[in-house]
Amino acid sequence: MATTTTKPETLFGKKIRRREDPRLLTGTATYLDDIKMPGMHHACVVRSPHAAARIKSLNVKPALARPGVTAVFTGADVKDLGPIPCGASLPGLRTPHHHILAQDRVYLVGHPVAVVVATDRYIAADAVDLIEVDYEVLPAVSDPEKALAPGAPAVHPQWPDNTAFTFHQEGGDITGAFAQAEVVVKQRITSQRLIPTSMETRGVVADWHAGDKSLTLWSSTQIPHLLRTLLAGILGMPENHLRVITPEVGGGFGSKLNVYAEEALMAFVSMRIGKPVKWVESRRENFLCTIHGRGHVDYFELAARRDGTMLGLRLKLIQDLGAYHQLLTPAIPTLSVLMMPGLYKFKNISADIVGVFTNCTPTDAYRGAGRPEATHGIERMVDILAAELKMDPAELRRKNFVGKDEFPFQTATGLAYDSGNYVLPLDTALAEIDYPALRREQQQARASGKLMGIGLSTYGEICAIGPSPATPAGGWESATVKIEPSGKITVMTGASPHGQGEETTFAQIVADELGVDIDDVVVVHGDTAIVQYGIGTFGSRGTAIGGTALYYALQELKGKVKKFGAMLLECDDVALAGGKCVDERSGKSVPFAQVAAASYRAMKLPPNTQPGLVATYFWEPPNFTFPFGAHVVITDVDRETGQVSIRRYVAVDDCGKIINPLIVAGQVHGGVAQGLGQALWEQAVYDENGQLLSGELTDYALPRAHMMPWIESSHTETPSPVNPLGVKGVGEAGTIGCSPAVVNSVVDALSHLGVRHIDMPLTPEKVWKLIQGGRA
Amino acid sequence: MKISGSFLVPVPQERAFRLLQDPVVLARSMPGCDTLERIGDNEYHMKMKMVLASISGLFDGKVRIADSRPHSSFRLIVEGAGRIGFMKGDGLLTLTPVEGGTNVGYEGTVEVGGTIAAVGQRLLDTTARMMIKRFFEKLTAESASSGAFSPTAIL
Amino acid sequence: MIPQDFEYSAPASLKEALELIATGERKILAGGMSLIPLMKLRLAAPEHVVDLARVPGLDYITESGGTVSIGATVTHHDLESSPVIRGRAPLLAEAAGHIGDTQVRNMGTIGGSIAHADPAADYPASLLALEAQIRLVSAKSDRTVPASDFFLDAFTTAIEPGELVLEVLVPTEEPKEGYRYEKVAHPASGFAVVGVAARIKKAGAKISMARIGVTGMSSRAFRALEAEKLLESGAGVAQAAATVAEGQEANQDLYASADYRRHLARIWAARALSVALSRAS
Ligand SMILES: Cc1cc2nc3c(=O)[nH]c(=O)nc-3n(C[C@H](O)[C@H](O)[C@H](O)COP(=O)(O)OP(=O)(O)OC[C@H]3O[C@@H](n4cnc5c(N)ncnc54)[C@H](O)[C@@H]3O)c2cc1C
Repeated sequence: MATTTTKPETLFGKKIRRREDPRLLTGTATYLDDIKMPGMHHACVVRSPHAAARIKSLNVKPALARPGVTAVFTGADVKDLGPIPCGASLPGLRTPHHHILAQDRVYLVGHPVAVVVATDRYIAADAVDLIEVDYEVLPAVSDPEKALAPGAPAVHPQWPDNTAFTFHQEGGDITGAFAQAEVVVKQRITSQRLIPTSMETRGVVADWHAGDKSLTLWSSTQIPHLLRTLLAGILGMPENHLRVITPEVGGGFGSKLNVYAEEALMAFVSMRIGKPVKWVESRRENFLCTIHGRGHVDYFELAARRDGTMLGLRLKLIQDLGAYHQLLTPAIPTLSVLMMPGLYKFKNISADIVGVFTNCTPTDAYRGAGRPEATHGIERMVDILAAELKMDPAELRRKNFVGKDEFPFQTATGLAYDSGNYVLPLDTALAEIDYPALRREQQQARASGKLMGIGLSTYGEICAIGPSPATPAGGWESATVKIEPSGKITVMTGASPHGQGEETTFAQIVADELGVDIDDVVVVHGDTAIVQYGIGTFGSRGTAIGGTALYYALQELKGKVKKFGAMLLECDDVALAGGKCVDERSGKSVPFAQVAAASYRAMKLPPNTQPGLVATYFWEPPNFTFPFGAHVVITDVDRETGQVSIRRYVAVDDCGKIINPLIVAGQVHGGVAQGLGQALWEQAVYDENGQLLSGELTDYALPRAHMMPWIESSHTETPSPVNPLGVKGVGEAGTIGCSPAVVNSVVDALSHLGVRHIDMPLTPEKVWKLIQGGRA
Repeated sequence: MKISGSFLVPVPQERAFRLLQDPVVLARSMPGCDTLERIGDNEYHMKMKMVLASISGLFDGKVRIADSRPHSSFRLIVEGAGRIGFMKGDGLLTLTPVEGGTNVGYEGTVEVGGTIAAVGQRLLDTTARMMIKRFFEKLTAESASSGAFSPTAIL
Repeated sequence: MIPQDFEYSAPASLKEALELIATGERKILAGGMSLIPLMKLRLAAPEHVVDLARVPGLDYITESGGTVSIGATVTHHDLESSPVIRGRAPLLAEAAGHIGDTQVRNMGTIGGSIAHADPAADYPASLLALEAQIRLVSAKSDRTVPASDFFLDAFTTAIEPGELVLEVLVPTEEPKEGYRYEKVAHPASGFAVVGVAARIKKAGAKISMARIGVTGMSSRAFRALEAEKLLESGAGVAQAAATVAEGQEANQDLYASADYRRHLARIWAARALSVALSRAS
């Protein structure tokens, strides 16, 4: 019987609701703290209240005497384990030995000093208070610039200059550029310390099986496989005796792209007590003991000609590293350097980084990781130049953009931008707000004493991180696709999504490629015993690299399915559609389930074909991808109070091809929220003794729903040639694009008062003082 | 955190100076002070219980008097640590005779750490000022009940 | 939450509750919006918690003889949405609507809020401006204290050991009077960096009565008596508002310096007064 097969609509580009949401929204998902095991013990960590101190004595006896306390371990117990690894390698990098528990000295508030293990969590918490630690308090330093000053307290006594590394990168002819310059604008720009604050804090459950000397470790992490490899190293345990599982992960934003002391510590505890043990981070611990982000003091100099042609950019970057290197700490500012030219075509740059130790929480990758700082810098500098030249900031940008026919574009920092059309999102956004009319309105507003500003940021970013030579632990990603004997499809991705929605987008890719129903696809991730090795989810890489690995695995699998299909249909070639293999000439078809069953039953095999339907692909990307976009923000500033309110927020992002617009919108919204957080509210504040004053959510101001403006989000689509899906990544776009647009807008509102720059966050008092006549 | 201010103590300067260094008076005036034991010259071991609405915490620490310039100034150093954090106040008290008594000016720093520093930021300044105010109010009250102190009995 | 051990009682009558709090280190639990976070951080470690949740008849809102009576366990949300409060003490309803977020308003109570006496809480400004009274009872006593004598200092009230807040008594606002509560909310905590409650009565074109309560600025909420007097003697809003911070020490924190807080108090007093004035007839 002949049937006509209509090609079903593809799911690529469709607004498919996230398949993970029902379980997340109905409270039926399993997060780390939901894990309960028979005989499970609970651990609490004793932490230093001082930023720098010598441990004179430590008395654990009163805690041990508390009924219900099973064990207490201190630095001496774990001195031979570790260290906690730093994956970044820079020439001459000084790396302090990072013990799991402090030895004889503490280097930051929150430094783990001991761990108490008890039969329940309340007892463990009580017992923490019973541990007596006698500290000899030492001078501390919390400001990176002060740490560099002669005579500053040494964070690590062996390095009195507090300098972990210096790093220089240069491209083109920077001296020539500045010699030719007709204008040079200079500005000190800071990107304050931020606390990533994922909704779920970290947590670890470790379960040692003495019988086979194996350990299962659940951790709320973004990188289960890397964690397993590195943890095996810390513990001195064969990697294949260790299984790492990520339950549902309630956000990470880079803060869970790390290996933490508590992961090793819980493994150690479980091995010592022979019982499963759980530790869940409190919010206070989260603020002190999980990495922070940003922490830049940047000195920029931009050289240009009077006609607005930008010639070169110099940067002196002081990175506040904190007291230790976590996994990528020293590498983050180098990403800033890569990004520093932004979307502009000048080819002369010079950057000097100084990585500085402070008695503070280590900084590391936080949404954008190095790139928001760079974008903030260049986009502020372009506005400062525009003000200096009395040029329209949009015009100045257009003049300097890399042209749409210049791709791939080789940057002065050694990158090859893959594709782009930078004018398009800018013009789209400006048309959306009717830019000329707004400028007229601004003139009138000023005449009547009102303050309104229009701020642009045309940002670029480096995504799909990254090709292996550029990534400390390998930059590829893996996928396995199995068609089960029943015809259902299981995907195992090495990426470890934790809120990004890959269970949906990856299923969309599978459904399209195999011509099956999306409900027949299950995406599995985050268990090293089940999923082949992978790198993880960060740096907007999940879809661009993990999705591409999946795409190629599917191509291999399709070939095999077709062979079986053709064998069963007794024809040369078949198409895949509607959950079937279809012989397009005869119209005959055979359902997937039958093809799958035949492949496993293997009564008969196509020539040169093995039984089963499984394909695995490890994809190494040839390049990063380079998304871009334009964010335009209109602000009104209350002249009397300095309060900034956002009238409109227009985001036109180009993240290449869009697989699922709903998910992309979610990423843009969340990203912008965190960008606004940095621009307006958030800051980790330490006092000069290294106490974190913004130590809880009562002082650390996260953006909440009622503080958010309406985000008018739209897209242009410039496919990436780097991968066959044409996707670029969108996880960090909102964060990167946002903060300079907001600050540019507020500076624009105040520019006629002589204001040239304001450092974030733009708190009302700061803005009010500038309105009062202080220039910045 | 920097603190400064002044209070009027309604007694002559010399007496005010003695009152302010009298451990019995200090023990009664310092908010929450339970015990004050001499451990050395001008140095005392202190146990205190700070209670502020629902917040309460036990502190164990030291009170020290230094740089004493009778009857015009001295430094008062109070430090304590407990489960909810630690604090250290170091202030220079300057006494000047004024009409109706002695003006006691203070200027110094308060360092706070641990939970109280991390979660109480919004309230630290208010609380510090309140504690100081209570101290001087108590002191004033103590100075009124004249027979209440006899430094030699303790020292 | 992982607090220290504590004993817990849920008395079923007021009498029982009063007996329970009569001795020892007892802490009342109402909505828990202030107490529980402190216990969770172990900044509070009461030995014995006496929960008012099962005490019947403490969550009333009634009006008689020109006074609105508000039971201690009336939630912020109930106040905000009560027709009686909206009609007879609308200033308080407006203030209640500014407290925290929905969850906090659904749980937190007026009794708990005023007993806690956070210097940045919203109610005190309005209660001062409304010249409310607070009724305190213990197993042995029953007394009523004016709001102006109730809030003594940061976290310090006139409540004596063994007493609890039974009710808040608010003289009704006249329909013709204008009112306004304005607040600068701290972006993190939601508490008032500065909050100003204003009431205005007019006689013809003149202001016959002005009441201004200010919270958040100082270690306790206060009435801006000087500004009230100025308004009642014919001064303009701007002139009066300029005096609201006078003679008051101002708080400072990471978000706002003392000077800026004073400035905000003046600006928002002017704004609150302008709205109150425009609402008065
Ligand atoms: C996220 C958040 C945001 C907030 N934002 C604001 C805000 O913007 N503005 C604001 O004003 N408040 C704010 N609050 C505090 C909130 O209003 C609390 O509800 C209120 O302070 C306490 O009321 P409660 O019923 O929850 O009291 P509880 O927390 O149960 O008790 C607080 C204290 O009062 C005592 N107490 C309770 N009831 C009585 C009684 N009847 N008699 C005597 N003592 C009693 C308790 O023993 C305890 O010491 C916020 C709280 C949170 C958690």
